[in-house]
Amino acid sequence: MYDIAAEHAPAIGATIVVVVSLWLALGAFSTLARRRVTWALTLVETYRATSGITKLAGILMLVSGVIHLALIASHEGITGALFVIDGFGFIVLGATAFVTSWWRRPAVLWLLATIVAYVIWIIAGWETPDQIGIACKLIELVALGLVLRLGPQGRRTWPRRLWRAVAFPTLVSVATIGIWIGGLVHPDALHAHAGALLQPVAEVATAEQRERAAHLLADTRASITRYGDPAAAIAAGFKPGPASSAEPLRHFENAANAKVILDPNHPQALVYVQTKHGLQLIGAMYQMPRAGQWGPDPGGPLTQWHQHEGICFSPFGFEFSFETPFWTCPVGSTSVTTPPMLHVWIIDNGKLGPFAADLDKTVQKNLQGS
Amino acid sequence: MLVVTQASLSLVAGLSAIPFSIVEPGFRLLSLVTILVAIAMFWLARNVRRRKRWARRCVIALEALSLTASLLLMVLPIGAIRGPVPILVNLVMPPSVLWLLLSRPGRAAFRTAGRSDARGAARGCAPPRERVDRHGDQQDKAGDDELPLDVDRQ
Repeated sequence: MYDIAAEHAPAIGATIVVVVSLWLALGAFSTLARRRVTWALTLVETYRATSGITKLAGILMLVSGVIHLALIASHEGITGALFVIDGFGFIVLGATAFVTSWWRRPAVLWLLATIVAYVIWIIAGWETPDQIGIACKLIELVALGLVLRLGPQGRRTWPRRLWRAVAFPTLVSVATIGIWIGGLVHPDALHAHAGALLQPVAEVATAEQRERAAHLLADTRASITRYGDPAAAIAAGFKPGPASSAEPLRHFENAANAKVILDPNHPQALVYVQTKHGLQLIGAMYQMPRAGQWGPDPGGPLTQWHQHEGICFSPFGFEFSFETPFWTCPVGSTSVTTPPMLHVWIIDNGKLGPFAADLDKTVQKNLQGS
Repeated sequence: MLVVTQASLSLVAGLSAIPFSIVEPGFRLLSLVTILVAIAMFWLARNVRRRKRWARRCVIALEALSLTASLLLMVLPIGAIRGPVPILVNLVMPPSVLWLLLSRPGRAAFRTAGRSDARGAARGCAPPRERVDRHGDQQDKAGDDELPLDVDRQ
C-alpha cells in the first residue's frame, strides 16, 4: 500500500551518506584531537560532554533535515519552499543541540509543526504517503519523544504526570490515523483499492492488444467451463481456499500449476461466488511465482496484473486486516505481499470489465442474492 | 523512549484491527492481545526508566523475540519486510534497544541501581536469587527515574 515514490528515492542515498559522513567525521576529529589540534579537541570534548539522548535527538534531526533537503527537487511551490526551511531548520537545531542549552523548546515546536504539517498535507491530498515520508516521520517522532524526555520534570501533579504519559502515544496514534486516512481517501493511480497495487501499463490499448485480451478471455472461458461443478475442480486437483463470512468469493487453488505462466489450460486458481444455490464459477485467477514479478500482459492496459500488499493475515483461516502506515500488524498476524495476479471474470463484470482486480460490487450483490 | 515508540505502534496496530474484528472473530482476539501487549510494553518502558532489572530482562526477551521473528519473516518469500519503514520498525529499533540495554553503560546503570521489586519478580522476570525489594523500601524517589543513557543529561 505504501511504496517508495521514485522521486523520493534520493532521500535513501542522502540518509546513508549523512550517517556515514557523521561517523567518518567523528573518527577524523578524534584522531586530530589525539594529536592535540585545538579546535578538534574542543569539538570532540563538546560531543563527549553531551548526553546520550541529546546526541541521538540531534543526529535524528540532522538526518531529517538532510532528507528534506534531498527532496526539494521533487516538490514544487509552497511545499518545496517549506522543505527548504524545514531542512535547514532541522540541521541548525540538530547542530545546536550539541553546543547550546536553548535548543530544546524550538526543537519541540519544529518537530511538532513538521509532523502535523505532513499529516495535514496527506489528508488534503497535497502529498501522497510513501515509505520515505513515513520513515522520516518515524525518525521525527522518535526525536520528538527524546527531546520531550529532556524536559524539566516540574511539579509532579497527577494531571502533569498523566499528560506526560499519554502525550506521545496520542501523537503517534494521530499521525498514524492521519496518514492512513490520507492514503485511503487519495490513493494514487496505481492502487485499485487499499492493499492492491496495479502493474504500471500504457494508458490506451492498441487494436492488437484488444484482440489478444479477447482471445485470453475466450480461451479462459472455454478452458474453465468444465469446472462449473466445484466437485469437478476438486477432482482435477484444485483445493478450496478457506471460507470466510467476510469474503463471499472462494478461490480454489491448484498447486500443480504454481510455476505455469498465464496458460488458460492451467490457471492457478478458480474463483467461485457463494450464491443462495451454492457455489457458482465466475472466473479464473492467474498468478506469478514470486512477489514483484509482473506477468505478461497481452492486452496491455486491459490485462493489468495486481498484487496485494500491506495486508495482515491471521493464523485463524482466511482473515485479514490492513497494516498500519508504520508497517505493523496485530500480534500473531503476518504481513504478506502476494505474487502478482490477474483475474479473468467469465461473467459480465459490469463497468469494471473482465480483467478487473475486483468483482463489480453490484454484480457481486446480484450474484449473492440469486 | 524507543520502547514507548514501539508500544505506541503496537497500540495503533491493535486499535486498527478492531473494525476488522466485527466480522473476523480471529482478529477480535488478536486485536485484544495486541492492545494488552502494548499496555505491557508501556509499563515495562516505565520500569526500565526506573532502572528495574526485571523490566530490563523482560524487554531484552521481548526485543530478542521480536527481532528473531522479523528475521524469520524476512527470509520467507512473503514480502513481509520491504522498504525503509519495516526495516526501521522491525530490524533497527529492536537491535537498538538491545544494544542500549546490553552495552556496558546500560548494564552499569542497572547494576548500580541494583533494584527490583516483588511484583516484577513474581511475574517471572527476576531470577530466583535476585534481591527483591518486597516492601518497596528502595522504590524510586522523585526525580530518580532517568534512563540509563541520560544519567549525564543536561
